[in-house]
Amino acid sequence: MSETMAHQAAPQTDAPPAVVAQGLTKVYDTGATAVRALDGVDVAFARGAFTAIMGPSGSGKSTLMHCLAGLDTATSGSVHMGRTDITGLKDRELTLLRRDRIGFIFQSFNLLPMLTAQQNIVLPAEIARRKVEPKRFERIVEVVGLHDRLDHLPVKLSGGEQQRVAVARALLNDPEVVYADEPTGNLDSRSGAEVLGFLRDSARELEQTVIMVTHDPMAAAYADRVVFLRDGRLVDEVGTPTAELVLDRLVKLEG
Amino acid sequence: MLRTTLAGLRLHKRRLFTTALAIVLGIMFVTGTLVFSDTLRADFSRQVMGSAGKIDVIVTATGVAKAGPDPDEEPTGEPGASDVETVAALRDLPEIESVQGVLEGPAPLLDRDGRAVGYIPTLGMSVGGEVSRYEAFEGRLPTADNEVALDTGSANDNDFGVGDTVEVLDPQGEPRSFTVVGLIDLGIQGSVSQRGAVAFTPERAQEMVELPAGSGYTRIYVMGAEGVPVHQLQEEVAAATGEAAQVQTGQEVGETLAERAGAELEIMRSGLLLFAAVAMFVAAIVIYNTFAILIAQRQREMALLRCLGAVRGQLFRGVLVEAVIVGLLSSAVGVLAGIGLGAAGLTFGAELMYPTTGATAGLVVSPLAVLASLGVGTLVTMGAALVPALGATRVAPLAALRAGATLGSEKGVGWLRIVAAVALFGICGAMVALAVGGDPSPRNLTLIVAAGVTCFLGVVLLSPLLVRGFVWLISGPMRSSGVPGRLAADNAGRTPKRAATAMIALTVGAGLITAFSVFSASVQSSLDEQLDDRMPVDYQIMRQLGTTAEEQRQGVPPAVAAELRQTPELDKVYSLHEADAHVAEQPQMRVSALTGGDLTEIVEETTSGDLADFTDQTTVLSQPMAEMLGVEVGDQVDIGTEQQRPYEVVAVTSETEALAPIVVAYSDFTEQFADTGRIQLVAVAKAEGIETTQARDVVDAAVADYPTLGVQSAAELKQQYTDMFNVMFLVVAALLSMAILIAIFGIANTMALSVLERTRESALLRAVGLSRAQLRWMLSLEAVIVSVLGALTGIAVGIVFGWITGRAVLEEVSLVLPGWQIAGFVAAAVLAGLVAAVLPSRRAARASITAALASE
Repeated sequence: MSETMAHQAAPQTDAPPAVVAQGLTKVYDTGATAVRALDGVDVAFARGAFTAIMGPSGSGKSTLMHCLAGLDTATSGSVHMGRTDITGLKDRELTLLRRDRIGFIFQSFNLLPMLTAQQNIVLPAEIARRKVEPKRFERIVEVVGLHDRLDHLPVKLSGGEQQRVAVARALLNDPEVVYADEPTGNLDSRSGAEVLGFLRDSARELEQTVIMVTHDPMAAAYADRVVFLRDGRLVDEVGTPTAELVLDRLVKLEG
Repeated sequence: MLRTTLAGLRLHKRRLFTTALAIVLGIMFVTGTLVFSDTLRADFSRQVMGSAGKIDVIVTATGVAKAGPDPDEEPTGEPGASDVETVAALRDLPEIESVQGVLEGPAPLLDRDGRAVGYIPTLGMSVGGEVSRYEAFEGRLPTADNEVALDTGSANDNDFGVGDTVEVLDPQGEPRSFTVVGLIDLGIQGSVSQRGAVAFTPERAQEMVELPAGSGYTRIYVMGAEGVPVHQLQEEVAAATGEAAQVQTGQEVGETLAERAGAELEIMRSGLLLFAAVAMFVAAIVIYNTFAILIAQRQREMALLRCLGAVRGQLFRGVLVEAVIVGLLSSAVGVLAGIGLGAAGLTFGAELMYPTTGATAGLVVSPLAVLASLGVGTLVTMGAALVPALGATRVAPLAALRAGATLGSEKGVGWLRIVAAVALFGICGAMVALAVGGDPSPRNLTLIVAAGVTCFLGVVLLSPLLVRGFVWLISGPMRSSGVPGRLAADNAGRTPKRAATAMIALTVGAGLITAFSVFSASVQSSLDEQLDDRMPVDYQIMRQLGTTAEEQRQGVPPAVAAELRQTPELDKVYSLHEADAHVAEQPQMRVSALTGGDLTEIVEETTSGDLADFTDQTTVLSQPMAEMLGVEVGDQVDIGTEQQRPYEVVAVTSETEALAPIVVAYSDFTEQFADTGRIQLVAVAKAEGIETTQARDVVDAAVADYPTLGVQSAAELKQQYTDMFNVMFLVVAALLSMAILIAIFGIANTMALSVLERTRESALLRAVGLSRAQLRWMLSLEAVIVSVLGALTGIAVGIVFGWITGRAVLEEVSLVLPGWQIAGFVAAAVLAGLVAAVLPSRRAARASITAALASE
């Protein structure tokens, strides 16, 4: 079943996908044994869609995201972002790619502790020496509701607020893809719901492509589509998911 | 618990590596100094014992207990005690196998230009004969009339070697030619090493060595007949020579000499150990910081141990045990490296200072030196870890459950800190005021050192504030330089205490070297000024010091002054005449008079009175002389030899302006001192438009017939002590380099530990688009901020204390900032920061982003 499902995961809409992985394989050589974290993954992510990657621990979902985002290099196979084949890029080119075309939200430790919320939000733009459009900044800050918290250092912000800062930072640059790695893992359910809401809204309203790794069915339910990974392979996927549906598939997978 | 400690050590050994290196360097310095001086001491002892010890009995001519050819004390001319008759009498004794008298006295060696070498004539001495104390270090001892041996120092300084022909002045002042057949090493006895020596055969020495009237042998070497015990021989010889001579066994003489050489070495050793102590102090700061950071980073580990039931004492002991192990191991490595350093010091350093020693000796590594070094290293490490260890005991067990506890920023700088620092600065200021306010004296230096330490403690207390202030100050420009610069400034200010401790280590070295540099520049410029005041002339001609009393009485021959007055190249030719006289109640004073120009041309400033009033029957005194005699302008002073005449004091000159302590008119001088007066010095100023070299040629031509006349120029004199100060600067810089190197390791270590702590931060920055180069640049800038602040702090304190020290040593000293040197220090600090950041930033840039993000 898994094979066929994976192949059918090709373009769902007519628009060209934002990110396409073909035959993606990642082998970690731990000395004694080689671990195949990714074992020939073929997957495409539609432009403007909010996709969740799910799977049990060790299924390779984080590795998949790292390879898609150019944080890690694949052993074989290819990743295309738009027309760019990122698998062949050098470190410097990957850095520029991340800087200019990708936004990141991590599970924890998203912010530099010595910078204020505002400084954290504009950091990638500053690194790239890019002008920040005040209107866009205002709007995004508005959307994530951080107006009166901009001058605070991260230690003074709640976990949810910190994560909203990270979301704002990721969105500010209008990147081609936003990668979120367990963005709600450290949050209480209300804050988590808020953050996921922002991600879904931005995908719908701003046509922002969002790819999120999560193990939480509730979080995955916010996505337009969920793909499932096990043992480094794409094994299943669900369109317009609900929490029950996702949980059901997960149980099946683990069973 | 011990097992946990050891396991922890194994796990963290990389983090402790640089700390260990700091201890290794410091201990290397300590051991190197001990080995170096022990070996030199052993070598000197062996040498003097070897030369003196093989003589059975040595008779010394004077009643004064002295041994070795010491030129400071001329033979007193006590006749009869050890003259030729005594030698003959000794020779008749049955207990005596052989006897040899030694002659010593001035015998000026001429350099390749035909001028007498040095400021004091070389010592002539007889060697060889029946009993020979010295052996040739190279070649052989002279055996013929036309042969000499030179001491190694004179030969080196003047580039003479075996086989060369040299000229030596005989007592009549006639140059005599000799062939150098050998070199003798006289070691570091007395000032022979500065003065130099020429050795003749005993027969030739009688013609060449100028003996003070009535004196004979300086000493007599006696060898006993076979089977005669030394002490019996000593008694026999003593009976034969009488009271006036001192009779010692060669062994005794050797021991005295070795002791004296040892005392001289002791000074050098103390100096070196002082610098080693500075290095160890800096190492202690580095160790303290490392342990403090490690314990902060291991807070959760410590807390977990507490959760598992470890009591505070166990944690405390655990840290201390760790320190002892690190200290002991590093000290052991340091001792080994120090032995190597001592050996290198002997090969290179001793060669410069004492050309003939060291190379022959085996390295002396005393157990005491090894134990002392190990002890110092271990104790310093343990002491430095004490406060961090106490900190470890304060970790609450609950901290184990909190995440990321180490990254909380430090608390604000307390007011207590500021108040204490201000109090320290106050005490420091009081001590400085006390030192600078009084007359120059050595006590002031002690006060200033104490003030320096107090001030340093104050700076240490304030240093976290300094870090914050500095970061605040530079963050503007750093921000505009881009993200790496701005993050670097933020990072440097994040943990002010940590950055402060890292920079303080560099402050020590930078402060000391700046203080020395400012001190020497200020003193140098003041000396220049004084010299310009005192010598408004181009050249001075004086007789070599210490030539015979007869020549001293002659002074500079009047013919020289007369000849110089004839030359058109010279504008002014002053002669300063002098004579010994009773002044008021004081015997043996020097009275001077000037010819060839007016006193006002040479002396410009007076502290009281007016030089215009200077005429017959009046006198001009220097300030110290006026104080000593207790007179003021308007008072009368009696001056004369048999008959004193009253002179009115018309002016008192300041100390720096002093040409001579007591100046009278030349007409009075000739009337009173026609017989004993002589020209002490001739000073000339070249005419307008004449090249310096031309003037020099004229002066050289005038003194060509008088080899013992020395020609000095103000420019050469300045050059001489400029060279001296430059050498001193290099030596101080070299000795401080160890402390500075350790401080750089400290900064590197702090950086490495911070980088380790910020692994995830670095990964995040990389993920959002900071390039590897930018990350490296960011960390380099952070290290540069720390090192430059350390250097600037040191420079600021150093400038103040360099100047204060100058003020305490010299009465009048103006502050001179050696701008280029200070700029050099700052540049060196920038470089040091960059170097310190190389490894940490490379590690940070290489780290995999994904692994770093995944790690705790």
